[in-house]
Amino acid sequence: MIENLDRIKQEARTQIVNCPSRDELEKLRVHYVGKKGVITALLHSLKDLEADKRREMGARLNQIKQEFEKELGLKQSELDRKEIEKELSGSSKIDLTLPGLFSVQKGSLHPVTRVMEEIIKTFRKIGFSVASGPEVELEYYNFEALNTPEDHPARDLQDTFYIRAPSLLRSHTSPVQIRTMKSKNPPIQVIAPGKVYRSDYDITHTPMFHQVEGLMVDEHLSLADLKGVLQYMVKELFGERKLRFRPSFFPFTEPSAEVDMACIGCKGQGEDCRLCKGTGWLEIGGSGMVHPNVFKSVGYDPDKYSGFAFGMGIERIAMLKYGIDDLRSFFENDLRMLEQF
Amino acid sequence: MLLSMHWLRDYLQKSDIKIDTKELADQLTMRGIHVSAIRKPHVKYENIVVGRIEQIEKHPDADKLQVTQVVTEEGPNAPKRQIVCGAKNISVGDIVPIALPGAHLPAVNLDIKISKIRGVESSGMICSAKELGISDESEGILQLPKHNSHPGQPLSALLGGGSDDQVLEFELTPNRGDCLSVTGLAREICPLIKTKMRDPKVAKFRVTPHRTSSILKVEVEDQRLCPRYVARVIDAMKVAESPEWIKQRIEAIGLKPINNIVDVTNFVMFECGQPLHAFDLKKISSGVVRVAPCTSEMEFTLLNGQTVTLIPGDILIWNGDKPIALAGIMGGQDSQVTADTTSILLESAAFLPTQIRKTAKRLGLTSDASKRFEKGIDLVGVALASERAASLIRDMINANVYHPPIDTREDGIKEETISVDMREIRKLIGHKSMTTESAAELLETIGITSTKKSINILTVKLPSFRPDLKSQVDMVEEVARLNGYDKIPSHLPISVASYDKLDESQFEFELKAKNILSGLGFHETIHYSFISEEWFRKYGIDSSRSVPLQNPLSDEMKVLRTSLLPSLLETYSYNKNRKAKNQKIFEVARTYVSDPDSETKVKETPEVAALLSGNMTSQSWRGGETPVDFYTAKGVLEVLIGQMTSVFPTFEPVQNSVLFHPNRSATIKLGLKEIGTVGEIHPFIKSSVLDTIEPVVFFTLNLEALKKYERAGVVKYRTLSKFPGVELDLALVIDKHTNSSALMDNMKHVAGPLLVDLYPFDQYEGDNIPQGKKSLAYHLTLQSPERTLLDTEVVEIRTKVIQALKEKFNADLRG
Repeated sequence: MIENLDRIKQEARTQIVNCPSRDELEKLRVHYVGKKGVITALLHSLKDLEADKRREMGARLNQIKQEFEKELGLKQSELDRKEIEKELSGSSKIDLTLPGLFSVQKGSLHPVTRVMEEIIKTFRKIGFSVASGPEVELEYYNFEALNTPEDHPARDLQDTFYIRAPSLLRSHTSPVQIRTMKSKNPPIQVIAPGKVYRSDYDITHTPMFHQVEGLMVDEHLSLADLKGVLQYMVKELFGERKLRFRPSFFPFTEPSAEVDMACIGCKGQGEDCRLCKGTGWLEIGGSGMVHPNVFKSVGYDPDKYSGFAFGMGIERIAMLKYGIDDLRSFFENDLRMLEQF
Repeated sequence: MLLSMHWLRDYLQKSDIKIDTKELADQLTMRGIHVSAIRKPHVKYENIVVGRIEQIEKHPDADKLQVTQVVTEEGPNAPKRQIVCGAKNISVGDIVPIALPGAHLPAVNLDIKISKIRGVESSGMICSAKELGISDESEGILQLPKHNSHPGQPLSALLGGGSDDQVLEFELTPNRGDCLSVTGLAREICPLIKTKMRDPKVAKFRVTPHRTSSILKVEVEDQRLCPRYVARVIDAMKVAESPEWIKQRIEAIGLKPINNIVDVTNFVMFECGQPLHAFDLKKISSGVVRVAPCTSEMEFTLLNGQTVTLIPGDILIWNGDKPIALAGIMGGQDSQVTADTTSILLESAAFLPTQIRKTAKRLGLTSDASKRFEKGIDLVGVALASERAASLIRDMINANVYHPPIDTREDGIKEETISVDMREIRKLIGHKSMTTESAAELLETIGITSTKKSINILTVKLPSFRPDLKSQVDMVEEVARLNGYDKIPSHLPISVASYDKLDESQFEFELKAKNILSGLGFHETIHYSFISEEWFRKYGIDSSRSVPLQNPLSDEMKVLRTSLLPSLLETYSYNKNRKAKNQKIFEVARTYVSDPDSETKVKETPEVAALLSGNMTSQSWRGGETPVDFYTAKGVLEVLIGQMTSVFPTFEPVQNSVLFHPNRSATIKLGLKEIGTVGEIHPFIKSSVLDTIEPVVFFTLNLEALKKYERAGVVKYRTLSKFPGVELDLALVIDKHTNSSALMDNMKHVAGPLLVDLYPFDQYEGDNIPQGKKSLAYHLTLQSPERTLLDTEVVEIRTKVIQALKEKFNADLRG
């Protein structure tokens, strides 16, 4: 019988693999590895052999027994699974298309926050840090230190909300430039996002809106660096898109430039494009080289340092990015709008 | 500023040069002179079209009125327009001018709107010649020729006014006052279209026997207020209609011709940028024209009939002791030119821009003149404009022009020079190869002269016609602008931020709150920072430290928010009215209270506020909605605080609140500091203000105070114990008003560090619990990091805890 070990092994494996049911499998288990089973009988038969031979054959038989048990185990689990599958195939199916149920449902960030985040992330990648300042400002930071003397049009009571002079609601994020430069030595590389206020309310103006201000100061910065930074930002936000820099005027920068982006509605071609009104260009912000008088007011040496600053309206960018057509809808907080973000 | 291309050509040496208007507009825009639109010249009969009368009926309620049906479009199916008309000379089939809603009839100063006339709707007006400003007499409705007209045709096409002119509309930056004139724009345009400029023609006046100075004296008290004053007498003249060519020029840019004197002053102002004023010479009785500020408050009647109050500082023109004009802004009624005027004093002057601005703004009298004075005008041009106007008047009506005029700057205006370092230009515009010569050439194209002083230094003469150019950096911009910004290279700078880092943590902290709440299913809102004063009362919010705006836009946006809640409640109502259910909204923003110690006298505090209404989730197909309540809001709050900080705030009942539920809202405290509120809205506010019965809960949190306990970087890891813990439950019966937190604090204190976990798992009142008592059951886990606890140890702790609770709270174990 020992001589037939290989054959028994072969036979048993075939029987286990082809076993159709759990009852049959139990019979096979008893037959091969049970107390009165084939392997046990063989082990008993070894007692007549010489010690060396007996040890060798004993080890071999135990190994075969373990193999059998493993195979039986695998088959057992296969047959168990089949049994359960059979039960499941008879049970009812659920409607997989009904909505999920969980105590939390989808929330949203305001489009202004989303765009602000994206812009900040973009600038942080190239080394800008986030700076902030108060929304109630002093005339000094909002105007005087920004080379905007008292008689400048921007100081009109009609444009700026006053608390009680010299306190006012900042009309731009530029005072953060002054606060940052006054508290730090150059070089400087910051962006300042935040709320700003202007006394203006019509279809294209809300009395509060959001801006992001950028400021970089170092030795040897030029308009070329400014162009590079804004070109990079537009590429990150809107993809590869033409920019143009148009001479403009801001009291706190010189040379100053208005920044236009090729229209995203008509790709710069549209005669009747509603977005760009046929100009092919969309204004996205103002920029320029920091005016020497601004450096003087914060105690930087304008002969040694140069820098650039830029600012843009977040709502404007959000409108372009998401196709929002009414500025005022940003502050109506209609859930039907908010839920879309 | 509007520029008529026909008018522009008057100042081009090659006046018939071909100009592509669109291309020119683009070029100007790229030079910083922004063209915002290209338009047809001002249309006289805007929104007035040809119409045909289809039907006429009597007005049901007015004998003298008729109700007509007219067509103002072509085609068989053209819609009919109902117009009520009072004229008698109309019949069916007539072709007549129809002023559509939106039209303005300057001749009778009428804006056409859709209106009801004695109960009958009328959408337009059938016009007479007088109403159209064609004739002074009204002979009923103007009948138009039937053979060459059709309904819908613009009236201007029929009555003329058609022109091949084009008008550029500019949106100028405040520094470019020089471009508020045709010649100023021509200076910028000529190099672009490659032609030279031709100056306005000025007559050669012979010195007359009567000099202006023989009749008048001019006294300027302070040259700072009036840097130049040129006064010239013109007599033997007659006020009449202007010649056609002048009318055409000023009409093209939307001005209304008045008479030859007014038209010439307007014409020269738009031509040269120099505002002029004509006084009736007879009214300057004292023979002295004085320029001096107002010294004491006084009333003054302007030529438009308006009486204004002048205050010290306003610059005035005086006839002796009597003011005759508000300098640079508007003349007085008493000294204005009338139909009977035969001699005038023509004033051409410059005034202190800041003062003109101040006065004009205060009185709300911004005019074409004040706009130019505010931006600073060409001091050399003051005298030229006087001569130009005098030439025109003399040519027009052969008047007698006195020469020379009185000029307070007879000695002339000296133009200053500055040094410009080319290295600075190259550095700032990043244009390394720009030479001194090429910069000089660029400046020369717009009439700025310069000489090369050394290899890198250019001496530039500051031109009087560009008062905005004063310093080196102005010239840097000028060179960059003329060279073209598009020629400036573009590259990313080397980042410099790494070594002086800013503290961005407050920004990060606020952003984290937004992300957590939106992740918990809330929708972020953003509200205006200013609210209605009324809301403080409406929601019972303390307004004693609130900050009002000095110049609010409206009562609805008058006071800075001291709390974010009213805005959220308003938004709740707004969305509820639009059928939103189970709202979850939040806002992260600053609140503002007055604070005498703050630099700006206002303390700003970043806060977060959230509001929930209705059920925890939107209606589920499985049913079983859970309404939100105090514990929902507190739960959200705990997740938020737990994720952002490592503190556990305490909760105490709110005191005397109008807005918050007295029993179901709490003040959130960290130590002694109040950092927010959480709970349910007061039922009275819900019914009387929010008009709702569904639950509305909220929380507010001071993010600045909370930030001091920020979690980032302060988490201390506890090694996991390898030894098993022992779990036990204690069901206590205590007084109904005992707070769970007091029990828990006591248990922690008594059990000591071996108590590693403790939480309530059941609260019960009712059967088997005595009146006035409640049962609270706790789950405790005891565990040592060093060993397996002995049964005796556990029993000992349990006994101590029970004993302590009994002593302190009279707590019994529930049997």
